[in-house]
Amino acid sequence: MGAVLGYIATLGVYFFIYNIFCLGLNIQFGYAGILDFTVITFMAIAGYFAGVAVLGPPQRGSEIFYILGLNLPWPIALVIGVVAAGTLGFLIGLVALRRLRSDYLAIVTLASGSIVYGIVNNDNKIFDGAAGLVGVPQPYTSIFGFNPNTYTWYFLIICAVMMLLCWFVAERIYRSPLGRTMRAIREDMDVAEAFGKDAFRVRMLAMVLGCMMVGVGGVLTLAYVSALSPAGWSTGETFVIWAALIVGGRANNLGAIVGSFLVAVLFNEATRFLPTIPGDPNLISNIRNMCIGGLVILTLWLRPQGVIPERKARFAELPTAAKRRPPGESLVTLGSVDSVG
Amino acid sequence: MSGDGSAGASIVTAPVVGSTPRAGGMLVVDGLVRHFGGVKAVDGCSFEIKPGTISALIGPNGAGKTTTVNLIAGALRSDRGRIVFNGSDLTGKRPHQIAEQGLVRTFQISREYASMTVLENLMVSPLHQSGERLLNVLFRPGRWRNEERQHLERSLEVLDEFGLYAKRDDYAGSLSGGQKRLLELARAVMAAPKMLLLDEPLAGINPALTARVADHIERLREGGITFLLVEHNLEIVERICDHVVVMALGATLATGTMADLRKNDAVVQAYLTGGGI
Amino acid sequence: MSLFLLSLGFGIVTAAVLALSSVGLSLQFGVTNFVNFAYGAYLGFGMFLTYTLASLLHFPLWLSVVLGCILTGVLAVVIDLVILEPFVRRRTSGFFMLIVTFGLQLLLLNIIQAVWGVGFQSFTSGSGSPITIGPFSFTADQLGIVALAVVAMVGIHLLLTRTTLGKSMRAMSDDPSLAKVSGIDTARVTLWTWFISGCLAGLGGVTLALNTVSFQAYTGNNFLFVIFAAVILGGIGKIYGAMLGALCIGLVVEVSGVWLSSAYKLDVAFGVLVLVLLVRPQGIIPTLGKA
Repeated sequence: MGAVLGYIATLGVYFFIYNIFCLGLNIQFGYAGILDFTVITFMAIAGYFAGVAVLGPPQRGSEIFYILGLNLPWPIALVIGVVAAGTLGFLIGLVALRRLRSDYLAIVTLASGSIVYGIVNNDNKIFDGAAGLVGVPQPYTSIFGFNPNTYTWYFLIICAVMMLLCWFVAERIYRSPLGRTMRAIREDMDVAEAFGKDAFRVRMLAMVLGCMMVGVGGVLTLAYVSALSPAGWSTGETFVIWAALIVGGRANNLGAIVGSFLVAVLFNEATRFLPTIPGDPNLISNIRNMCIGGLVILTLWLRPQGVIPERKARFAELPTAAKRRPPGESLVTLGSVDSVG
Repeated sequence: MSGDGSAGASIVTAPVVGSTPRAGGMLVVDGLVRHFGGVKAVDGCSFEIKPGTISALIGPNGAGKTTTVNLIAGALRSDRGRIVFNGSDLTGKRPHQIAEQGLVRTFQISREYASMTVLENLMVSPLHQSGERLLNVLFRPGRWRNEERQHLERSLEVLDEFGLYAKRDDYAGSLSGGQKRLLELARAVMAAPKMLLLDEPLAGINPALTARVADHIERLREGGITFLLVEHNLEIVERICDHVVVMALGATLATGTMADLRKNDAVVQAYLTGGGI
Repeated sequence: MSLFLLSLGFGIVTAAVLALSSVGLSLQFGVTNFVNFAYGAYLGFGMFLTYTLASLLHFPLWLSVVLGCILTGVLAVVIDLVILEPFVRRRTSGFFMLIVTFGLQLLLLNIIQAVWGVGFQSFTSGSGSPITIGPFSFTADQLGIVALAVVAMVGIHLLLTRTTLGKSMRAMSDDPSLAKVSGIDTARVTLWTWFISGCLAGLGGVTLALNTVSFQAYTGNNFLFVIFAAVILGGIGKIYGAMLGALCIGLVVEVSGVWLSSAYKLDVAFGVLVLVLLVRPQGIIPTLGKA
C-alpha cells in the first residue's frame, strides 16, 4: 500500500516538474516564438549548480571532483541554480536573438547545447564529467524524515508550490501587455519593431525567464533523484518537453499542463512497464523515443495547434456607446477564462 | 484640402544642413546613399517634409522608393547621408527607436499579426506601455490595468472609425485584403505617431476602398499627423497630397506639387510619360 | 615534421569530409528552403548501411560505399515523400518545418540505435603504413577520402553547370516561383535534390566514420553543428560557399588541435559559427549567388 502511494506521489513529482519545464518552454516558444532546441541543457545547468551549492567541498583523494561545494541550504541553492540557468540563457541569447533567421537561432541553441554537453561530459573537474554528481542530499530530510514513501509526499508539496508559482508568473505574463507584445513579435518581428517594440529586449526576457523556469524544474529534479550525470540529459530529453508542449497546445499554459501529463507522465510511465527485451536493454528506450519523435510529427500533421489550442483573447464586451462612459469599475478584464492570481 | 501647392515648387531641394531643429522640416532626408553589392539602390536622395502635410514619394519601379522608406525607418542602414526627424538625428538608430520617436511605418504587403485578434492587433501598438515591463507585470498590476483600459477604449474607438468594430474579435489573418489595409492604418494610428510612412497603402484594394483609405488619411492629417506615402496611384496622389517627391535611379529628381511636376520636363521624361499620367 | 604541418594535413582530410556533408545540406536547403535538422541521422544511416554491406555481407569496401550512399539517397527520398513533402504541400511555414525535422532527427537516430545497437563499430579497412606526400603524411583511407571529396565536388560542379537538372536546381534555389512558371518540374527536381543530398550525407557519414575510426549512431549527429558552421560560413544555400566554408572550418578545427585538447577541437567550429553570426550572418561570399 505504501509502495503504491509512493509510486503515485513519484508520478505527481514528475508531473509537476514537467509542468514547470513546459511552462518555461512555452514562454520561449509559445509566447515569443523562440526555437530553443536545447531546453534540457538549462535544466541540467541549474541542477548541477544547485547540486554543487548543496554539496560540501569534494573530499581529497576521493577521485570525485567538482567546483564550488558550498554546503549551502537548499533554498539558496535553488536560487543559485535558477540564476545559473538564466545566465546561460542570457549568454546564448546574446548570439541567438540578434535578429537572426529562426533557423539560425535554432542552430545556435542546438550547437550551444552540444558544446555545454561536451564540456560537462569531458571535463571531470567541473561536475565530475561523465560520472556526474551523486549523493546530493535531498532537502528538508530532517523535517520530513527519510522514509522514501512519506518523503515523496512532502516533496510533492514543494513541487506543487513551485509549479503554482511558475503558473502564476506564466499566466500573469500571458495576460499582460508584455505577453501580447511577445506574441506580436512571434507573429512578425519586423512589424513589431516598426511599432516601437524592442524585439531583442522582449525576446531576451522570454528566453531568460523560460530558462529560469526550466531551471526551477532542474533543481527539483536533482533534489528528488539526488544525482545528475550527462546520460540523464541528452537531446532526447529536450524532445520530451517539446513533444509535451506541441501535443498539449503551444501558447496555452493549460495545454502545457495537459501535454506534460499525456506525454511525460502517461506515455513515459506506460512504456516503463513494457517488458525488457532480453539482450537489448536499450530497445525499449529507443522505441519510446521513436514514438515521441513520431508523435510530434503526427500532432503537427493532424492537429497542429495541439489538444488545447491557443485561446482567443477576449476582452469584456464594451458597446460602442461605452466609450463615452467614464473609465471606472472593473468593466474590463483581460481574458474571461479562469484566471489564476 | 489645405495649402495645396502653397509651398511652391522647388526643383531638387538643396541639401539641408544645420543641427538646429528647423521649424519647416518634420522629416529631412539629406544625401542618402545605399548600395547592394554593386547596385546603387539609393544614390543621393534628399527631400524635406513639412509638418502637417501629406507628401507622396513617387517614381518608376526600381527608383529606390521602398529602399528609401526602409532607410528612414531604420530597417536598413544607409551607407551615407543623414535623416533628421522632428529635430533629432535618426541615422544609425534601430527601427524600434525610430518608432519610439513618433515615426511609424507600414509595409508594402499587409503584415498583420495573423493569429491575434483585430482588437489585439491595435492593443499592441501604443508605445511605452507600462504593462510591458516585467516588474510591473508581476508585482504592480495596478500600474498598468488602468492604462490598459484606456488603450482598450481608444482601440474600440479607432476600430469604429475604420469600420472594423464588428470584426474586433476575429483573427486578423481571417480579414479580407481591403480590411487588412484598414487594419494596418488603424494599428498605426494607435501608436499615436507624429508622422506615418505608408508604403503603398492602396496596393491591391478596390476603388471604393481606395477612396475610403484616402479619406482616412486626410482626416488623420487634420488630426495633426504628417504623412509620407509611397504610391503609384497618381490620381489619389493628386487628390490628397500637398507635396510630391519624385525619385528616379535612386536619387531625388524633383519636388513640388503635381501641377508643378507636370511642367517639369525632366520629370515628364523620366517618369510621367512612361507612367502614363 | 612539424606538428603544425601534420595538423594541416589532417585539416585537409576533415575539410574533405565536411565538404561532402556540407554541400549535401546546403544544396537541399537551397532548393527546399528549410533546414533539415535530421541531416546528422542521414550521415548515421550512411555509416551503418555501408558497415552492414562491408562487414556483415562482406562486399568490397568500395562497392559497399557506393551502395550505402545510394541507399541513403533513396532513404532521403522516401522520408521526403512520406513525411516532409506532405507538410510542404500544406504550406507549413519554415518555422514549423524545423520542428518537424527536429522530431525526425529523434525518430531516425533511435531507429539506427534500435537496428544497429548503441555500441561503437569500426570499418576494418587495411590501412597499412602511412604515405608521405611532401610535408604531409596520410593513411590510405585519408587519401581515399580526399580523392573521393575532390571527385564528388567536381561532379557536383558539372551537375550544376552542365545538366538540365543542375540548372533547374539553381533556378529553384534562386527563385522558386519563377522556376515553377518557367516550366521546371519542381516536384521532380526536389526529389532528385533529396536523393543527391542523401547520397552526399551518406558519403559524408562513411568518410567521417573512416576518419574517426570508430563510430556509433550519434557520431553523425554530433558532427551536425560543424556542418552547420561550414554551411553558414559559406552562406546558407550556396554550394560553392559550402565548399569554401568546409575548407576553412576543416583547417581551423584541425590546426587548433595543435594548441587545444582534441576533446574540444570541434568546439572551435562553434566559435567560428558564433563569430560568423555576429559579424557576417549572410556568410563570407554573398555575392557569388545561391547554388
